[in-house]
Amino acid sequence: MGGYFNILSSERLKMSRSYIVLLVLVSPLIAILTGLLFDLDKSTTPWISLLMVMSMVHALLFMPIMSGIFAAFICRYEHSGGGWKQLLVLPVTRTGVYFAKYTVVIAMLAITQLLLAGSVFLVGFIKGIHAPVEWDIMLRSLLGGWIACLPLAALQLAVSMMWSSFAAPLALNVTFTIPNILVANSGTYGPFYPWAQPLLATIPGSQMDGGGFGALNLPFESLMITVLGSFVVFFIFGWVYFKMKEV
Amino acid sequence: MNELVIQTRDLNKKYAGRYAVRHLNLEIARGEIYGFLGPNGAGKTTTIRMLLGLIRPTMGSIHIFGKDLKKEKMNILRKIGSLVEYPSNYGHLTAIQNLEAVRRILDVPKSRIDEVLDIVSLTKEAKRPVKGYSLGMKQRLGIATALLGHPELLILDEPTNGLDPEGIHEIRELIRSMPKQHGITVLVSSHLLSEVEQMAGTVGIIREGEMVFQDTISNLQQQASSGFHLVVSEPQEALQLVRGQGYAGQLENGGLKLDQLSDPEVALLVKRLVDNNHAIYRVEEKRRTLEDIFMQVIEQGGFQ
Repeated sequence: MGGYFNILSSERLKMSRSYIVLLVLVSPLIAILTGLLFDLDKSTTPWISLLMVMSMVHALLFMPIMSGIFAAFICRYEHSGGGWKQLLVLPVTRTGVYFAKYTVVIAMLAITQLLLAGSVFLVGFIKGIHAPVEWDIMLRSLLGGWIACLPLAALQLAVSMMWSSFAAPLALNVTFTIPNILVANSGTYGPFYPWAQPLLATIPGSQMDGGGFGALNLPFESLMITVLGSFVVFFIFGWVYFKMKEV
Repeated sequence: MNELVIQTRDLNKKYAGRYAVRHLNLEIARGEIYGFLGPNGAGKTTTIRMLLGLIRPTMGSIHIFGKDLKKEKMNILRKIGSLVEYPSNYGHLTAIQNLEAVRRILDVPKSRIDEVLDIVSLTKEAKRPVKGYSLGMKQRLGIATALLGHPELLILDEPTNGLDPEGIHEIRELIRSMPKQHGITVLVSSHLLSEVEQMAGTVGIIREGEMVFQDTISNLQQQASSGFHLVVSEPQEALQLVRGQGYAGQLENGGLKLDQLSDPEVALLVKRLVDNNHAIYRVEEKRRTLEDIFMQVIEQGGFQ
């Protein structure tokens, strides 16, 4: 597909020589700190409690914001040095380039999520949790959190390709992410707000004492409808835009 | 005329109701260096972006290597190396990494990187981040990148823009060697005629989006002679004699100003004057520089 794997390999090279990759560490490190400070003694399901505490800020703010930063970054070096021209005069299709760039962004998010999972196990190990790991709930949380970021990554990639400024897409991203703090509490709007989905997908509301609050009671499947719907809209918007873009 | 590498037919590009390129018929033969000339904003870069598939023409067709660009874009782009406007590169990477990023897409052997660095004499600086390069070095890296995939056609947009005289000379020599050493056809754009006249065989001059002249550089040069200036001992009498021979002429600055003449005509005229005891101090051909002709073409939209 238009040299997809070749472009991917080229993208990896361009990305790897930059300090931005270190950003994947920020959220897991903060999560470790939060986890270590948390008192687990009373919890009957210590792994779930730990995951919830550690992934709260991660899923509420960091994952949506990271989607924006990685997307903006992967376009930044193309905008600044005339890279789009250099890239698109090579024997590649626009579709190939778009898919490869998107792949890199979501791979970075997956790495962040894996590091968070690692952090949870690390803190659990330090705290000496003996209870068996509730794999099904934890995996669903972590995977769900990542999948819920896919539409955000698609939208951010689209606007990052559109705007040559590095700050503008990030401003948009933050503008939509900050209201999460309120929206996630709302049973009415929460389920339909794409930026709140990483949190809703990550936090297993049904496992909370009293069954959670706000939009957190929703079944996983209904969340995924919002995620899938916004993904299709954002991804196709970006893809078509990039195919038509005048370079 | 041998096989055409680039051929456009009635190429048009319209921006917001204004034509940036209009009715453009570009013809470039294999193995030649084609100078694409025009003032800034005449539509050179727009044309080049269309040739490379970066933007879509509003109307008209582009054939490169005899293939339709719309249908066989990938196959065509594989055989083109290009440098559009200012050199493109990734500042945080070294020259080698920049070339490697492109090489991974083109799928050529790794050894090709050293080869192209050598061609543009950048081997010594190749391990420094490109951020710290001078414009000339970036320009050379751009050409190295363009050469990476063994192109058959090189499209260079203002490759000497912003370079110092030494850099210009270097790039010019490099371009000049392309058809001979590598069998590459070159399209080089510039807003300065003096820059391409020393390397191009054919020139196309574009003005306000329209091609106003497309021919060999020697045909352009033939337009350059604009008459002779004769400095003689007795201009008044000499003029009578010249007119007696049936040539038009007038007095100017104590000498004679004559129209364009062929070599035998000049010889004959001089002989007549000498036979009539005129002392001839100087016979000067008045040549307009190509720059003057270029300006005339640009201003008037062609030769009148």
